[in-house]
Amino acid sequence: MINAERVGVRFQFDRHRRVVTPKASRFRPAATTTWGLRGVSFAASAGEGIALVGRSGSGKTTMLRTLAGVYVPDEGRLRVHRPVASLLAVDAGLLALLTGSENALLLGVLGGLSRRESKRALDAVKERSGLGDAFEYPVSAYSQGMCARLGFAVAEELEPRVLLLDEVHEALDHEFRAIVQERARTLIGTGGVVVATGHDHPLLEQLCDRAIYLDNGTVAADGPFRDVQRAYLEDVRTGTHH
Amino acid sequence: MKGEIDQIVERAHDARPSGAPLRNGLRRLLRAVDLLRSLTEADLRFRYGRGPSRVIRWLLEPFALVGVYLLLITFVLDRPGLAPGLSLAAVIVPFQFLISTVGNAMDAVELRRPILLNMAFDRNLLPASCALTECASFVASLSIIVVMMAAYRIAPTVAIFWLPLVALVNVYLAVAAAYAASLLGLWLRELKPFLLSFVRALFFLSPGLVPLSQTSPEVRTLLRLNPLTGLFEAYRNIFLFGRAPAAWQLLYPIVIASAILVVFLPLYRTEQTQFAKVV
Repeated sequence: MINAERVGVRFQFDRHRRVVTPKASRFRPAATTTWGLRGVSFAASAGEGIALVGRSGSGKTTMLRTLAGVYVPDEGRLRVHRPVASLLAVDAGLLALLTGSENALLLGVLGGLSRRESKRALDAVKERSGLGDAFEYPVSAYSQGMCARLGFAVAEELEPRVLLLDEVHEALDHEFRAIVQERARTLIGTGGVVVATGHDHPLLEQLCDRAIYLDNGTVAADGPFRDVQRAYLEDVRTGTHH
Repeated sequence: MKGEIDQIVERAHDARPSGAPLRNGLRRLLRAVDLLRSLTEADLRFRYGRGPSRVIRWLLEPFALVGVYLLLITFVLDRPGLAPGLSLAAVIVPFQFLISTVGNAMDAVELRRPILLNMAFDRNLLPASCALTECASFVASLSIIVVMMAAYRIAPTVAIFWLPLVALVNVYLAVAAAYAASLLGLWLRELKPFLLSFVRALFFLSPGLVPLSQTSPEVRTLLRLNPLTGLFEAYRNIFLFGRAPAAWQLLYPIVIASAILVVFLPLYRTEQTQFAKVV
């Protein structure tokens, strides 16, 4: 389902410390280059739940964005089975001035549905999100949890084979969190893959049997959740970096 | 440093039995239309809001932008020449469309930061959607020209049938400019006001304030190098003089727009893979 071979994602900064693209760096010379990911290799088979653990800035979000196709690797090779659904930010990719239903329509089309399919799905998205009348309110009036609810409801409509969750499920209330976990487990049970990040390890462990410990953009450990968690916590305790 | 981009994404939708390439092409086209429509619709909601008031806002906005100035030219200032207010309206309306598209396109990527960072989608259509959004405003602006023609008692002639073609050339130039503006707006953020000033300067380096026929022969030759010159004269021919535009007035802007696309479209297609890093 996922096969990453020595994947690297590079960020170039100009002298004002702003990220520049490789082409822009020709006339805004890059002062520094950092690798968000470097030499990351792993494979995920059907039915796996994988937790990405690591300190803030270790590359977890970069990894998820790369799996989602938001970032394109600057080196290496990545294969990901589509469709992929992602909740990579607390705002769940919603545009603040649009209503919930307008966002749902737009995200559905961006995610690969036709307009007709996306329109037809609106009632289902409204029901699944549990937003009620707020579905027709501008998203600027939503709480983080409401955004995540809507984002997840749209993501489900895409019938993903790979689901990517970046800490956002931690912003959910307990009721919806249970729903997300149940849906994620169903996806895993039907041969899909879930990759999740977060600092709430008990929550991650409920979804994922396996974990990958990222440090400075590289894989420091990969294996059963408990083993990797232990390695990570030990490094945190001793202040070790790889 | 060697930059290798090698991402293989297997899409379930694309894995269907392909059948004919024609069918795949048609599917891709329909998908692009859906995407373009959805992005433009979202843009229009930002611009005009929702409910019945959005139609009123859509109709009145052009008058708020340039209408008052044109009324001043038409009814207050005593300017020489044939229908100076209409002459000016015939160029300001298409120019406003062009400069608004450029302004919108420069922010097109940054304004969509939330969706860019959350999911992968075809970003190649973002600038085109900016031009389409401004098209809505452009159509409403044409009502200013109708008002001006009525004010000067100038009736439309059969030349009005050239309007769709001229407008299409205008849209083509705007789309091309949008691709350039999207990239330049991202590469040179702090220079955005200067980029807009450059477009504004193009207006003053064209027969915007007076028709080309009222300029000196030497200046006329130079002004013709500006792609806006042909476009402006084409609109004036249709609305003011009631005659068909000359071939060069349409062909030259098409050539310039194509040249812009030849340079910037491949660059945009490469750079769009990096957008999520820089927003």
